[in-house]
Amino acid sequence: MLRLLSILLVVWLSIAGQYAYAINAIKIQIGEVDTPVAQLKNARLQVDLKGKSPTLILHAEVKPINEKVFIPFDLKCGQFNTESIGQVDCLDGNFTAKQVKAPFSVNFASDPHNLSVDILFNTASFSDESGLHAGENLTGQVKLAAKIINESWQWHGLMSWTKGELFWQPFYFGKAGNIFEVNGTFKSPILNVENASLIINGVGEMTGTAQINTNTNTAENIKVSAKDVDFDGLYSVFLKPMVEKSVFGNLAVSGKADWQFEIKNLEPRNFELNLRDANMDDKNGKFSFKHMNAHLPWDYDNAKTINLNYKSGHLLKMPLANTNLSAEINRYSLVSKQLTLPILDGALNLSDVSATMIADNWYWHLRMNLTPVSMRDFSTAMGWPKMQGKISGQVPLVTYASKQLNMDGAMTFNVFNGTIGMDNLKIDDPLGVVPRLHADLLMRNLDLAELTKTFSFGDITGKLDGDVKNMVLENWKPVYLDAYIHTTEGKHLKKISQRAVENITALGGEGTAAALQRTFLRFFKEFNYDKIGLSCKLRQDVCEMGGVESTPTGYIIVKGKGIPSVTVNGYTQRVSLEDLLGRIKRITDSNSKVIVK
Amino acid sequence: MFIGNIMQKFMISFLLVISLLVNSGLVNAAADLDVNTPAISALKNSMQSRHAQLAAHYASGAIGLTADGLIAVRDATALPLKDRQGINALVAAENNDRNALYKEVAAGNGHPEWQGEVRNIFAGRWIDKAQSGWYFQRDGGWVKK
Repeated sequence: MLRLLSILLVVWLSIAGQYAYAINAIKIQIGEVDTPVAQLKNARLQVDLKGKSPTLILHAEVKPINEKVFIPFDLKCGQFNTESIGQVDCLDGNFTAKQVKAPFSVNFASDPHNLSVDILFNTASFSDESGLHAGENLTGQVKLAAKIINESWQWHGLMSWTKGELFWQPFYFGKAGNIFEVNGTFKSPILNVENASLIINGVGEMTGTAQINTNTNTAENIKVSAKDVDFDGLYSVFLKPMVEKSVFGNLAVSGKADWQFEIKNLEPRNFELNLRDANMDDKNGKFSFKHMNAHLPWDYDNAKTINLNYKSGHLLKMPLANTNLSAEINRYSLVSKQLTLPILDGALNLSDVSATMIADNWYWHLRMNLTPVSMRDFSTAMGWPKMQGKISGQVPLVTYASKQLNMDGAMTFNVFNGTIGMDNLKIDDPLGVVPRLHADLLMRNLDLAELTKTFSFGDITGKLDGDVKNMVLENWKPVYLDAYIHTTEGKHLKKISQRAVENITALGGEGTAAALQRTFLRFFKEFNYDKIGLSCKLRQDVCEMGGVESTPTGYIIVKGKGIPSVTVNGYTQRVSLEDLLGRIKRITDSNSKVIVK
Repeated sequence: MFIGNIMQKFMISFLLVISLLVNSGLVNAAADLDVNTPAISALKNSMQSRHAQLAAHYASGAIGLTADGLIAVRDATALPLKDRQGINALVAAENNDRNALYKEVAAGNGHPEWQGEVRNIFAGRWIDKAQSGWYFQRDGGWVKK
């Protein structure tokens, strides 16, 4: 098997005086050795026969066939036995090289047709140059037995470790207590793994087969199957590295799973993941699914039906109720006639869903119909002030491409006895660090009595219309908009309470004043008004304010009418949005009261 | 001769005015790196929370600061085994945020075309702020601070 290119062999026979002609040390120097798997050079071997049992010291430089540089190493055997030809025991051994430190014992036996190696290693550490294949403090054993039949090696291997950790890119085995048992054949260059059983601590048992090309060091065909394993272990060891850069790359999971996949000629052929009573929480807080049962098959050649059920969860804080989803998956595309996501007392119905993955990016489109969800439950779930009314809407087409979500058609929120329509909705990178939302809002006939009661603003009776155009939210915070809210045209009761006047005055800050003497204000609890209006052109944090009318010194926010009436003027035209929101928060916080002195 | 003198003076004044304008333009053109928008604060928060995971890896030399304002794996063997699996995704996520930050800071200054300049200034800033013992790239090689 060895092809010797050049061997310089020098044997020194040290002759002890006492025992004439007895050999007590053998030293061998070898210049260079070529083998199919590695090259060896500058080898110095010394066997010392003086003690009770012989010892061996070997220093050499080795270069595996695929590597570029020679790596020096030292091998020592505290007890070196070679009782018969082809049999070598190296007990109390130690192998050291750059990034390798492996105390071990080995029994090696070979004849022309058989080979067996038993290695016990104790707190061994190793790493390749890149650190992508490495082990630390490993204690365990490797057993390999092979026999040659018809020029093909049949072999059986076992590897187990009871202490230490192993990283074999991209897999990390952090828990010891793993047993890998493998049977197969080897006929150069194909290493055929016919039957592998991997018992992995924290996961369970997996079985598999593989064909590995030892010339290219690639696994050409792989088939792996795991039944009823721990989903947490399966996810952290095997699934996470595969989905690391997707939205599923940072999950906390639990439950039970079956998993199998097949790769043929380096191409994925089929995959199946079944989940039983699993929980999945995104550690970035974007989504969560509880008590999930799923059957997720995939096949390169055949269309498959996937089924998924979860009892509860949330998506971007939107609460999700018990849901059954089913879709057909055909190679890299997914279609479903109807997906219903129950949300509180209503549901989001997605129809004509079609999605496809091109070059690792998802593209999809669907129709959307939101059956009425009660605002009371929804606002509570979102941590907003409790609102009355319903949200519902129909969107003819939602598309998602290049990380951008587009909605053609308006959503309508039936709230405060009026409507808020949302149109031209576009969200850039909705699940990213900086989601950017573009939309227009159309508010009609909002009941001010309901609105002011909800936000504890002080009572105002009347109706309100509003238009918010070109609204941009960055990370859900407004940075650009042209908004004008004003009293709805037409006849209706218009009253404003003393407290609301005080709050509007406070809202405007230093530059706002009720046209009434403040002392006079105290005589009346309620005033008549003609119009209320406020506009804001927001650019980054600065809002350029306006009202129902301009005056030489500012603008009118509340225009009075009749007796007793009140007029509120604003003077500050540029207001920091942060300050404004701060004031609104103080005012709407029901525990605090603005006191007019 | 007289006309020549006037022309000369006029030219000098003209050039002075032009140079003043250009210079003032340059002064105005300095990017405000501390501009704040919701996007920038979201990115900074995201990077800050990730820094807890990255700090030990800067210190061990496993990752280093690149000359173009990003980070890169320098020596995976310096990482604890448990961190090797996720390091590429962690570095990629940090670089995504850094690229987005340079874009947002340029946009926050009202000059999206300044992205390259902002990146260069940040690259220098990260290296200046780096603790001693951290690695950064210079002339294509790694240097220990």
